Amino acid sequence: MLPLTHYLFLSFALFLIGLTGVLTRRNLIIKLFSVEIILNATSINFVAFARLYGDAMGQVFAIITVVLLALEVLVALAIIAAVCSRWKCAPANDDKDLSSQLDY
Amino acid sequence: MLNHILSAFRTYMHGDGAVLLPEMQLLLFAIGTLAMDSWAANTSSETSRGNDGTNKVFHQKYWNPAVALAGVAFSALTVWMLRGRIIQSGDLSGFHLTLVIDSYFIFFSALLLVATVLVILLSVNCSGISPARQGRYYALLLFACMSMMLMVSAVDLLVIFLVVEAASISVYFLAAMPGVTNRSPSAAVRFLLSSAFGSALVAYAFSLLYGLSGATNISQVAEALVRRHNVAKVIALSHQGGSHGLQMLQLLQSRLPEAVHWHTFTLEALPIAAFTLLSVGVILKFAVPPFQAEYSRASTERDFGISSPVILYLSGAYAIAVVALLLRSMFTIFADSQNIWWTIIAALAIGGISYGILASLRHTNLERIVIYLSLTHMGYVLLGVVAANEAAATAMTYYLFTYLFVMTGMFGVLIAARGQNASAGVLNDLSGLRRRSPVTALLLIIFVLALAGAPLTAGFFGRYFIFHSLLETGHRHIAWFVALSSLPLAYSYLRIAVYAWRGNRPETESGPVTFGISEAIVLGICIFVSLAAGLYSEPFTRMARYAFGQ
Repeated sequence: MLPLTHYLFLSFALFLIGLTGVLTRRNLIIKLFSVEIILNATSINFVAFARLYGDAMGQVFAIITVVLLALEVLVALAIIAAVCSRWKCAPANDDKDLSSQLDY
Repeated sequence: MLNHILSAFRTYMHGDGAVLLPEMQLLLFAIGTLAMDSWAANTSSETSRGNDGTNKVFHQKYWNPAVALAGVAFSALTVWMLRGRIIQSGDLSGFHLTLVIDSYFIFFSALLLVATVLVILLSVNCSGISPARQGRYYALLLFACMSMMLMVSAVDLLVIFLVVEAASISVYFLAAMPGVTNRSPSAAVRFLLSSAFGSALVAYAFSLLYGLSGATNISQVAEALVRRHNVAKVIALSHQGGSHGLQMLQLLQSRLPEAVHWHTFTLEALPIAAFTLLSVGVILKFAVPPFQAEYSRASTERDFGISSPVILYLSGAYAIAVVALLLRSMFTIFADSQNIWWTIIAALAIGGISYGILASLRHTNLERIVIYLSLTHMGYVLLGVVAANEAAATAMTYYLFTYLFVMTGMFGVLIAARGQNASAGVLNDLSGLRRRSPVTALLLIIFVLALAGAPLTAGFFGRYFIFHSLLETGHRHIAWFVALSSLPLAYSYLRIAVYAWRGNRPETESGPVTFGISEAIVLGICIFVSLAAGLYSEPFTRMARYAFGQ
């Protein structure tokens, strides 16, 4: 059995990766994914602590984090799709791809 | 069988159900609005060949807000009844101690309900919301209000996280509704990203708190943090050596053997890290409109991107709910280490105040100026946390209370002024307002003075109380910062008043500003509060004191 600190370091590394992504990238989708990476780091923390304490609350929290993560992606993608249809970006014959259009 | 179900229902409503009743009523009315909207859309598409289309639109225009207002009224009535109940039998709690009904909840939920009423009334005549989307708009307002009320009543990390997300998702959709300028979604995506980033930080902070305490109820977390702090002290002593250190080491080995190898630094630093993440994440959530105003430089100075009532909702009710949540968690979870973390909050607040004022001076768009300065006002509220005595608690709730009404009045005037001719987007559009419609100009100037904190208005006492509580607790430098920063703040606001007062530009296309009945009601309430709280503040401070159960 791995000690707790291994999980914590993994989650902290993910947190830092996500943080760097949100702060430095300019692409909307990549920013969104970075936020999701932070939430995944949170889930790892919760599950690790839940096993440490033998307590189901952390597991529940992790599951709810996953649900909210899915919801947030759904909402964000719906709004981004609305933006794209409004900006009329990325027509099929454009040499630029969709993701470059999402920069700001 | 039916009797059995009824009695089960009755027991539920006297136990856990009572705690959730105001929110449940809002939820029911929101669903009702949605259902009625889709029903009306179906019937109108069947009879679309008839020529009574305008009549239908007219009905829809007033039906939806009326249903939403009825929902808020029912909920407010329930909150009032709950107030009577907690006076009789003390604070209620339900759902395994995850939600509580205390005076803090009563005060802030009443404030949020009033804010929702004011926004609904201002939205009735707002040109930005198309009739086809009205039902959805009001339903989302009610959903958001429901989640924000849960936000001030939740005392469990899991529930807090859930309801913060629920409120955020309603607010994302509100911000994404095509508004006055049709540029809303791009602004909404930026809002969503920063806000989601904020909630990710909050979630990480919660995971750290859970790891430190093994509990999710915030008072249990607070107890566990105190225990951790004591353990850290013992470990630090045991490292010192000597007979005393050896004694401590033996105590540790017998009572908590795994703690021998713990580092005191991690034990002391992790709560501070959690606190920083929590406060930065929460502040990101309400400081988002200013940041997105910064990003949307590509759009012209004239449009903001999100329609006015929604901006008002974001920077009024939403900000208040989030600050209330932050205050509750700070005063419960981290109450014991206030002497450590007040520096973090002071730095954040002073940064917010300075940034808001400096950024507002660069802009001429009226809504942007007001939005940037909303960050400044929230900074002043947070400075009350630095003082953290009884006077400061009163000051903070009083400030939030008056700020909501003055801000709403300001936006009411701006919405009414831009209603007819889509002008009044930038400062220059205001010139000659005194000639065009003196009443509007006078109202605008009163609200501007109240926001700037002129004596005899509501804004003055709020900041004075904060200043006074800071002096009382010996934070002299911060107190003087509050006093001195009021000068550039006042300059920033008085700019608006000066533009509204001077100038006689021959304006042919824009006539006098007229108010609909709903706007008149809103402005009446707001002007009453912003003058009454300045002239005779006693009843209002008593209300503010009630929030912290004093």
